Amino acid sequence: MSVSIRDAGQEQLIVATGLYKSFGGEPILLDVGVEVFRGRILGIIGPGGVGKSLLMKMLAGLVEPDAGDVTVLGQSLQSLNASGLARVRDRMGFLFQNYALFDFMDVGQNIAFPLEQMGVPKAEITRRVAERLAEVELPGIERLFPNELAGGLKKRVALARATIAGAPILLYDDPTAGLDPVTSSKIFELIRRLHRPDGATVIVGHDIDRMVAVCDEWLLLHEGAVLFRGTTEEGRASSHEVLKTFFMETGMLGAAA
Amino acid sequence: MSSLAPTPATAEPQKRAKRPIPRQSKANRPLLYPLAAFRRGATLFLETLLWCIKPGALKRRRRQILEQLFVIGNKSVVFITVTLGVLGLISVFQVLVQVERILPDFSMIGPAFIQIMTREFAPTMAGLMIATRVGSGIAAEIGSMVVTEQVDALRMCNADPVDYLVMPRFVASVIQTTLLSIYGCVIGVASGFIAAGLFWNIPAGTFFNLQLVAYGDVVSGLMKAVAYGMAVPIVAAQAGLETSGGSEGVGTATTRAVVNASFSVVVLDFLLSGFSFLFLSKGPM
Ligand SMILES: Nc1ncnc2c1ncn2[C@@H]1O[C@H](COP(=O)(O)OP(=O)(O)OP(=O)(O)O)[C@@H](O)[C@H]1O
Ligand SMILES: [Mg+2]
Repeated sequence: MSVSIRDAGQEQLIVATGLYKSFGGEPILLDVGVEVFRGRILGIIGPGGVGKSLLMKMLAGLVEPDAGDVTVLGQSLQSLNASGLARVRDRMGFLFQNYALFDFMDVGQNIAFPLEQMGVPKAEITRRVAERLAEVELPGIERLFPNELAGGLKKRVALARATIAGAPILLYDDPTAGLDPVTSSKIFELIRRLHRPDGATVIVGHDIDRMVAVCDEWLLLHEGAVLFRGTTEEGRASSHEVLKTFFMETGMLGAAA
Repeated sequence: MSSLAPTPATAEPQKRAKRPIPRQSKANRPLLYPLAAFRRGATLFLETLLWCIKPGALKRRRRQILEQLFVIGNKSVVFITVTLGVLGLISVFQVLVQVERILPDFSMIGPAFIQIMTREFAPTMAGLMIATRVGSGIAAEIGSMVVTEQVDALRMCNADPVDYLVMPRFVASVIQTTLLSIYGCVIGVASGFIAAGLFWNIPAGTFFNLQLVAYGDVVSGLMKAVAYGMAVPIVAAQAGLETSGGSEGVGTATTRAVVNASFSVVVLDFLLSGFSFLFLSKGPM
């Protein structure tokens, strides 16, 4: 099933080039490039604090890079006005690492919010929210508030909100942090099911063992730069020291052996 | 530049290209901070106004506006009652102590007090109370939404934070500051009379006399109330939206909101008092 990404005729849904970002003079990302092809699932990995979340926010146009460009669906985010950006974001779903649930809304309202913004009729919203909550195995918790939920549950509610609109481009920042192994596997299963062949999915994560089953391609960030970019096989075959250590620690090489 | 072609399987680390030169903004120069902040505030103000006049906008945000009307009223009414009550009591008392030494007649105390209450003390004290109580609340709420990425989540759902968070607070604040200024004026004058009646036996008919209150005084007072009601939520929301650096950032933003909002009330008071002095008619009501 996995075709080499070098195949001709592949369409890029997200292209980022030369991304640079520093905070208070401290550079975090130096010249990072990302490309995500139609129909592919990209896994972004790297040590904590390397700037994975920052990179994801740049791909969604939430953080403006100091230098470099992000193009989504052929539109350069930097050059878009508010309504242009809105049209691109209509086609994106974003799961935030720290949930970012609206604390003044209950769970049902949180998940319904993207649909409300799109003007979906009320009855359909209620049905779809209940459906998606069942899919993340939290049926019937619509009336609870986010502050009544444990971290793992918040994550799943946030995942439901990110995916409710059925957007073709889905960005997940650490979808399984704080979840038990069984639920984690189910979440990755769901992520694969929600992935559209005409869309693209990006997953930031640390759970490489489980991500291997889902991701077609990888991007390893290290010290602010892209250290490796390629398919799972290419990653396993690599002889690069840091890459080896990183994948060994996380079991990916072990899986290959 | 990292090439767009996929890295070969035997991936060597991509050569770190020489650092691109980041786009630098002039606002990074300390001397221009206040100027740049003022410009961002003005932009936020215009954006908020645009959201307000958008057809159907007020109706669409009716629930949030009502909620904010309640929150702002609830937060401020006790404060304003106490502050203007005490202010009215003390200022009339102090004035009468002084006046007693030079004038035999107290008949003008009431009218003069009502005039200065209307055009100056009621709106400005209410404005300052709202700057602290409401300004800090707005900055803390919006600031914590920023650091918990809720504002980013709104953006991802194509809900403009200005439309969704700032506009309802702005509308509610303009309405409530005006109402609370009028209420504060009544409280201030009433408690002023308590001092006058209790300690100097000035009759109510003499004290509650509107002969000095000109049309210009009322307009001036209302104009100030509306201006403070507009400035406070904008200044506070700007501090909130510019929050950075986790929960300490929210504290800093809240402090900045209170300082800047109070400061803008004082500056607006000065400007609008000047305007009223120069341009508003002194004729009787
Ligand atoms: N708004 C900001 N202001 C200042 N520094 C920031 C900001 N956003 C990110 N950083 C810094 O950028 C660095 C990268 O942060 P980021 O959250 O992207 O890391 P990460 O790779 O997602 O880490 P983790 O694996 O723990 O999620 C951190 O050192 C962080 O302090
Ligand atoms: Mg992160």
